[in-house]
Amino acid sequence: MSGEGGELERTLGFVEAMTLGGGTMIGAGIFILPGIAAESAGPASSISYAIAGFVALLAALSLSELATGMPIAGGSYHYVNRALGGLFGAVVGWGMWTGLMFASAFYMIGFGQYLVEPIPFLDGRAFIVGLGLVGLVLLLGVNYYGTEESSAFQNVTIGTETAIILVFVAVGVFYIDPGNLEPFAPFGPRGVVATTGIVFISFLGFEIIATVAGEIKNPSRIIPLSMILSVVLVTILYVLVMLVSTGVVPFESLGDSPIPVSDVAVVYLGSAGVVAIVFAAIIAAISSSNSSILAASRVIYAMGRDGVVTDWFNASHPRFYTPHRAIAATGGITAILILVGLEVETIIALLAEAASFSFLVAYSLVHVSLVVFRRADPDDYDPSFALPRPLYPAVPVLGVVSSLVVVSQMASVVVVIGSAIVGFGVLWYATYTRGRVVSEGLLREAIRGPPAEPFRVVVPVANPATQRGLLRLAAASAHANEERGTPELVAVNVTPVEHPSALQNVEADRADHQRDLLKNAHDIATEMDVTLRTKAVVAPDVGEAILDVIREEAADEVILGWDGTLDRDGYVFGETVDPVVEQARCDVSVVDLRSETIGEPVALVAPGPNAPVVAHQAVEFATVDGTVPTLLNVQSPGGGPDSDAEERGRAVVADAAGAAGLEPGEYDVEVVVDDDVGQAVVEAARRYDTVCVGLSGRSEGARTPFGTVTERTVSDVTGNVALIRGSNAS
Amino acid sequence: MKGVGELTILVPVDISEAEPPALDVLDGLGAVEVVILGYFPVPDQAEPALLRDQYGSTAADRLDALAAEYGASDGVLVFTHDREATIDRIADEYGCNAVLTGGRATAANRVLVPLRGDVNLDRILGVVADLLLAGHETATLFHSVAEDADSSHGELLLMGAVDRLVEYGVDRDRVDWRLTEGGDPQADIVELGAEYDIVVLGETEPSLREQIMGDVLSGIVDALEVPALVVRDVE
Repeated sequence: MSGEGGELERTLGFVEAMTLGGGTMIGAGIFILPGIAAESAGPASSISYAIAGFVALLAALSLSELATGMPIAGGSYHYVNRALGGLFGAVVGWGMWTGLMFASAFYMIGFGQYLVEPIPFLDGRAFIVGLGLVGLVLLLGVNYYGTEESSAFQNVTIGTETAIILVFVAVGVFYIDPGNLEPFAPFGPRGVVATTGIVFISFLGFEIIATVAGEIKNPSRIIPLSMILSVVLVTILYVLVMLVSTGVVPFESLGDSPIPVSDVAVVYLGSAGVVAIVFAAIIAAISSSNSSILAASRVIYAMGRDGVVTDWFNASHPRFYTPHRAIAATGGITAILILVGLEVETIIALLAEAASFSFLVAYSLVHVSLVVFRRADPDDYDPSFALPRPLYPAVPVLGVVSSLVVVSQMASVVVVIGSAIVGFGVLWYATYTRGRVVSEGLLREAIRGPPAEPFRVVVPVANPATQRGLLRLAAASAHANEERGTPELVAVNVTPVEHPSALQNVEADRADHQRDLLKNAHDIATEMDVTLRTKAVVAPDVGEAILDVIREEAADEVILGWDGTLDRDGYVFGETVDPVVEQARCDVSVVDLRSETIGEPVALVAPGPNAPVVAHQAVEFATVDGTVPTLLNVQSPGGGPDSDAEERGRAVVADAAGAAGLEPGEYDVEVVVDDDVGQAVVEAARRYDTVCVGLSGRSEGARTPFGTVTERTVSDVTGNVALIRGSNAS
Repeated sequence: MKGVGELTILVPVDISEAEPPALDVLDGLGAVEVVILGYFPVPDQAEPALLRDQYGSTAADRLDALAAEYGASDGVLVFTHDREATIDRIADEYGCNAVLTGGRATAANRVLVPLRGDVNLDRILGVVADLLLAGHETATLFHSVAEDADSSHGELLLMGAVDRLVEYGVDRDRVDWRLTEGGDPQADIVELGAEYDIVVLGETEPSLREQIMGDVLSGIVDALEVPALVVRDVE
């Protein structure tokens, strides 16, 4: 009655997802870091923000696909754990958790700075740290007791802070002194890239959308849309803020300020501007920090669910139903990180860079995971948002490279801290996770590649004299289509009986005949190095039975033997072949083998839906004896000179070859200009060993019509004849 | 003429409470379809799946017991951040015309039906008719006329509504009406509600003022001591 333990309500819509993502991103990162950024990159620090935004966008693209493929809690951690196994899962899980704690501490110190600085007599590191701690404790308290349905409040605060920044930018643009922007990049490209590593923290937050994927309505649409849009909009906003800041205040003096944005605002918005910016900075810090705590509890939940950490963290509070232990643990370590600020003067840049490091490592593994998921293609991975070519594989490749480039330019102390966290993850996996949970990941499947789709050619065999020739053609066709799948032949023999039943034995000699035929087919296939399966069918109607096999096997092509006579007893080819030609939903070749050699095939190419298939089939058949096929077109001279007709013919051939995806070197072209088209075709075709002709696509009733040209070709040429009907012409 | 249609009532219950509320009022309502929604409120800090992992089976047991006790035709268990959104979604999915909320009552003999005006009138009367036809209650239709307005208009509204119920097949003896003039309709409803077992209210699109100042409807529902049956404003 109540289902499998209950439904989960998806309550986050587009606006909620955007405010969650945007609200987490727009935080201390843009209010504090412009000073540090300006100091290390000059006005070009706007480029650092743009690069960081680009790296974030790449991650958002890969995450979007993964999140729509697996919309459950956990974000990056979950995808990496699934794709690359428990070791990398532990590394990313711990990395994200610590990264979120670094970020949270960073936001709260920023919060302290903005509160303290505008009131000069309160200046002092201890005071900043103290305020940060007070803010953190308040936040933890709120989160410990739990909040519900606060989204309206969130929307208002985030709307207000965004509006303040927009005013700051819109007015500030008019106060930019071009002189301040010269020199634009005083510390060169290295300074710009190094600054990217610091400011990357400003973009943490878009990922929270993936982290709460399990709570988002209509995830296939809203997740990609909100993640990509929030990153793009926030990037534009940051670049503008940085340009305005460095344009209004010389970057040297900006660098000295712990509250740079407010120092810029005072220039043109006066004290009202300062109040507004301080207000915005404070709510931004609180909302960002709050979201980080929220995200951290999701990551811990997911890690506990998968057994990467103990489930003890996940027990929810008996009265408030909050994951109180996870919140307390996150808050405790965050408080210690804030306290480090008492001793370390550059704490703010350090925290920013350490958080950036953790997430850059996580995102490069996310990009790898995307490739792994694509290659392994597990059954339960069916993303509704898939990166189109050429974004895939460009996005994951660029993503890994750009993340590593940014990491490589980071301060060595940060690299040491970050590597220590990675090392801790590895150690954790070795001592705790391994042995408890076996999560292998999909790496092995990914290296092996997805189970390749075969390119399957069905060959009905009945006559021992022709089966070798048919199987040779089929093998050639299958090999020639290797790029579409592993070649595989299915030899079918149908023994017709009036009323098949399990009780009635097929006469012994007919059963023997069938067995011999199929065994022989196996031997031939072994010689030709092609995979062959055989099917022995007993059915009342041979044609229907062959059609059934074609459907069951999802055949790409069927090659049928035929004795070369047309239009007999009311059938075009015969009782068995006609229904297959009319109804099979794959390419069909009806072949009359008149000689042992396939030799040099010719394709009669005339405009029509079959032309590309006929041309391609000739190329496939040519591989039997390693020849180059000729694509033949016959034109009547019409009114103009012969050269015009020749041009027309070449154009027809080029069209068909182009549609068949053939390269110019794969075929020769012959154009014949003659008043009697039919006669010319037959005469030209006689010079070749094998002739490929298209069957008209129109099917009228039970009859497959064929033109007089086809009829004359069949009756007059001495070589092998293959009549071809494309799958799309049926 | 029989009732208007199938009356299905959604009864949301906070299933995280160990002692689910007494729903005796349902027994008094007679043969109406009841869907019990056991919602488990999830704080923003927790992933809904976390609470389902932990409390899923307990909550399911509670809900099953509740549904069996009151003969509900369906029971739904949802872990949600947003109770209102869940109520809306489930009411849509199960085709519920009304939602039972708030207050407590042991019987359902006297029904108060405040009518605002033409807003939502058809749907409210449809539900009231179904309710009366399914059980043995008596109903009082109520309208409060603004001070400067013409009271005859209100009378007309109420008498028309009574006629409509009779047309639906309700015995005229089981319906009466009351009209007050001036005063605060909201306070009147709350005050009068105390004399009844259940109040039927129409859900309306909140006006801009209501969105800012708070929903009038939820104000009344909160102030009422007896249960309220909120008729949904949907096609």
